[in-house]
Amino acid sequence: MDEIVNTLRKQFGHHSFRPGQREVIDDVLAGRDVLAMLPTGSGKSLCYQLPAYVRPGRVLIVSPLVSLMEDQVEQLRRRGEKRVIAFHSLLDEEEKGQALASLADFRFIYASPEMLQSASFLAALRRAPVSLFVVDEAHCISQWGYDFRPDFLKLGDVRRALGNPPCLALTATAPPQVRDDIIRTLGMREARRHIYSVDRPNIALKVEHCRSPEEKAERIIEYAQRLKGPGIIYFSSRQGAEEIARRLERSGAGRVAYYHAGMDGEQRLLVQQQFLHGQLDLVCCTSAFGMGINKENVRFVLHFHMPAQLEAYVQEIGRAGRDGAPSLAVLFYADGDGAMAQAVAEAELPHPHELREWFRRLPEGAGLDRFRVWVETSRFTDIQKRLLSYVLEREQSLVFGAPTLLGERVAAAVEERRRWKRKKVREMEGWVHELSCRRSRLVHAFGEELAVRPDRCCDRCGLSLGDYVGRESRQTAVFVRDWREELWNLFFGGRPPHEAAK
Amino acid sequence: MQHSYASFLLAWCLRQFRGERTLAAAYHLFSGKKSAQTLQDSKWFQLEPFFGAWKNVTMSSLEAAAGWLAEQRLAMVVGDRAYRLTEAGEGWLSEREALFPRHMNGWRYHEVELPFWQRLSLIGQTLSNLNAGRRFAPICRDERTLRWVKRYLMDKGGRAALTRELYEELLRLLAAVSEEAALVFTLRLTSADRIGWTAEQIAAHLQKEALYVEFLFRDALHYIMAEAEAGRSPALAELMDGLAPVALTQSAQKTYEWLQKGKTIEEIAAIRRLKRSTIEDHLVEIAANVPAFSIAPFVAAEKAAAVQAAAKTLGTRKLKQIRDALGGAVSYFEIRLVLAKEVGRWMKS
Ligand SMILES: [Zn+2]
Repeated sequence: MDEIVNTLRKQFGHHSFRPGQREVIDDVLAGRDVLAMLPTGSGKSLCYQLPAYVRPGRVLIVSPLVSLMEDQVEQLRRRGEKRVIAFHSLLDEEEKGQALASLADFRFIYASPEMLQSASFLAALRRAPVSLFVVDEAHCISQWGYDFRPDFLKLGDVRRALGNPPCLALTATAPPQVRDDIIRTLGMREARRHIYSVDRPNIALKVEHCRSPEEKAERIIEYAQRLKGPGIIYFSSRQGAEEIARRLERSGAGRVAYYHAGMDGEQRLLVQQQFLHGQLDLVCCTSAFGMGINKENVRFVLHFHMPAQLEAYVQEIGRAGRDGAPSLAVLFYADGDGAMAQAVAEAELPHPHELREWFRRLPEGAGLDRFRVWVETSRFTDIQKRLLSYVLEREQSLVFGAPTLLGERVAAAVEERRRWKRKKVREMEGWVHELSCRRSRLVHAFGEELAVRPDRCCDRCGLSLGDYVGRESRQTAVFVRDWREELWNLFFGGRPPHEAAK
Repeated sequence: MQHSYASFLLAWCLRQFRGERTLAAAYHLFSGKKSAQTLQDSKWFQLEPFFGAWKNVTMSSLEAAAGWLAEQRLAMVVGDRAYRLTEAGEGWLSEREALFPRHMNGWRYHEVELPFWQRLSLIGQTLSNLNAGRRFAPICRDERTLRWVKRYLMDKGGRAALTRELYEELLRLLAAVSEEAALVFTLRLTSADRIGWTAEQIAAHLQKEALYVEFLFRDALHYIMAEAEAGRSPALAELMDGLAPVALTQSAQKTYEWLQKGKTIEEIAAIRRLKRSTIEDHLVEIAANVPAFSIAPFVAAEKAAAVQAAAKTLGTRKLKQIRDALGGAVSYFEIRLVLAKEVGRWMKS
C-alpha cells in the first residue's frame, strides 16, 4: 500500500479516493501548479489537506467567506488537527498579533483575501514560508465568474510576494473563459488542469411550470410533503423562505426551519447543526445556506425562485446526493421569474443615476486613498462597493486629472456587467425552457459534452417521481421533557433518578 | 387582533414615560443606543431592565404596537408620536404584570450577555458530549470563546466534579425563575442528544411569540449572571472572567459611595433604610467588581486565609460546606466576600 493511500486511511478515515482527488494530489505533491475543477461535494479540500500530511510544510488557503473558513477549520480540528488557524476580519488585533508571532507552528493557515493585504501578515508569511498556496472557490478571481470578488484579483501579486510557492486553484464551477482567467491572474506556470464534469449523474433534474406564485407555493408544499427527505428549498428572498417555512410547518411536512443572512449568527449555526444532526427534515433558505455544509444524505433540492445563473444553480443543487444515492432537483418556474431573477441580479449594480450623482459630489482633486474612503462611506451596498473599488483600482491612472473620463469608465464597466448578467439570466431561462435533455444542456454551458446519460436523467428524458417519494412518516411534534429532566439529560445523559426529577 | 408582547413592552414604557417621551425614545431604549439621553432616560424612568434588550427592534413594530394600544383605547396620543396610557391601559397593564421579566437587567448585561451565554452553552455542550463519549462540532464559532472554554476546561481538570457543580447550580438557579423561563433556557442549550432550539422553534412549541420567548430567555440568563456576580453561584461566577458588566448596579453604587465616606454597614443600612442583608449583597457585588475595594475591614485576614484554604482543599465553592469545615467560625457573608474577591482577582489576571 502506498504512502498516500495510507495517509488517506489513517488521517481521513477513507478507504478510496473520489474521482479526481488522487490525480490532483499526485500533481500537488510533484510541486506543480494545478487548476482543479471538481464537482461540488467531491471533497475538494482533501486535495490540499492530504499532501500536508505527506510532505512537511505549511499550506496557505485563501477563502472568500468567513463561514466557509470556520467550517473547514472546525472539520480539521474535529479530525484531531491542532495546527490550524484562520485569519479574517473578525479576529481582533491582540489575537492576530499572537497568532502571527507563532505562525511557523501551523500546518494549515486559512486567510481571507483582505488579510493578505496586510503588510505584517505578509512579512510573517515570509518568515514562515508556505509550501503550497491554495485558492479555494477560485472562480471568484474572474469577473466572468459566478460570485466575482475583486479582492481575489490581487492574489497574483500576493503569490509573487511570497516567492511563487506552488499553487493549487480549486473550483466547482468555472466555464473555460474563467479557467483561463484564474491561471493568468495567479501567474500559474505550465499549470496542470484537472477538469471534471460539473455533471452529477445521481441528481435527476426537473422543472415544474406554474401559472402563479401561489400555485408554485402549493406545488412546492406538495412535493416537500411527499418526497423522501431531508431536503433543501432555495428562495431568492428572505421573506419567501420564512413564509413557506411557516406554511410547510402548518401543513405537517415535518420539522422545518428557515435560514438566511438576516438571522443572527447563533440562530444560523443552530439551524445548520440541527439539519446536520437530522433534527430537521427541511430547510427553507436563501443562497446563504449550504456553503461548507457537508451533509451526505440530502435527498432533494427545490428552487422556489430561479437563480440568476446556471453556475449558482449547479452549486445549489450540488448539495443533494453527496452520498451518491439517487436524489432530485426540481426548479419551479412561473412567467415573470426571469424578470425577477434579473432584478435580483441587477440589484448588485449601482443604478446609473445614483452613480452619476455620486461622481458629481466627489471632492475635487481627490487622490486614490480619498476615493477609497469615499466608496467605503457611500450608501452603496457592499457588493456595489466591491465593484466600484475594483473599477477604480483598474482605472486608477485616471483618478488624477481626468475625473470625467473616470466617471464614464466606471459607468461603462457597470453597464458591461449589467449586459453580462442579463446574458446569464437568459442562459438560465434557456435551460428552463429547454425541450430536449436538460443534463446535456447543462454540461454544454460549461463547455462539455455529456458522455453518459444516466437512467434517471431529467423530465425531458422521462422521469418517474415515484422513485423519490418517501414512505417514512415524519415527526411533526417533538417530544420535550420537563426542563429538569432536560438539564439532567444534558449533563449526565438518560433520565434522572426519581428523586432528582422532583 | 390579539395583543402582542410588543404592545405589552411598549405599554410598560409608556407608563414609565408618563407621556414625556416619544416612540423614538422607546426605540432607542430597546435597541440600546449609547447616547447620554437614552442612558439618562433609562435611569430616570426606571427602564434599565429593557436597555438594549431587544436589539433588532424596528420603528414600525413599535408603531404597530402603539396603533393597537390606541385602537383599544389603552393609550392615547399626547403629542407628536408621544402616547400615554389611559386609565383602562393602566388597568390592562397591571393585570399583565406577570409578563414582566423581573430578573432582566439589560442596562447591566446587554454587552456581556452574549459572551457569557456562549461560554455557558459551549461548556454545557462540551461536558455533555465528553460525558457521552461523543465527538461534536462546537455550537459557537467565536474564536475567543472557543479558546476561553478550552483553557477553562483544561484548568479545571476533574470533569465529573465540574459537571455536578454546574448541574446543581443551574438546577437551583433555574428553579428560582418561572417554569416557563426555565424551560426556554434549557431548550436553548445544546446537549449530546439535541442541538439547541432557536427562539422561534421554542415559540412554536410553546405556542407563544418569539419575542416573548426571547425575553424569557434573557430573564433567566440575567438572573443567572446576577447570582453569579453576587457570589451565590461560584462555578458560574467563573464564567464572568474578563467580562466587565456596566460596573455596579445603581443601588450598590450608592452603597459604595457611602463606604468611601467611611460609613459602616449598619450606618448605611440606617441611612438608606435598607436591610442589612441588602447592604451585604452590595458589598459582595462591589468586592467582585471593584478591584480597588479591600475586604480587609470586613473579614479578618486569618479568617480570609482560612476560607481560601478551605475552598481550595475541599475543591468546592459551596458556602455551607466551607462554613462547616471551619466549625462555623465564619459567617456566610464573610465567605461570600472572600470568594467574590477571589473571582474578581481571577477576572483581572
Ligand atoms: Zn436528460
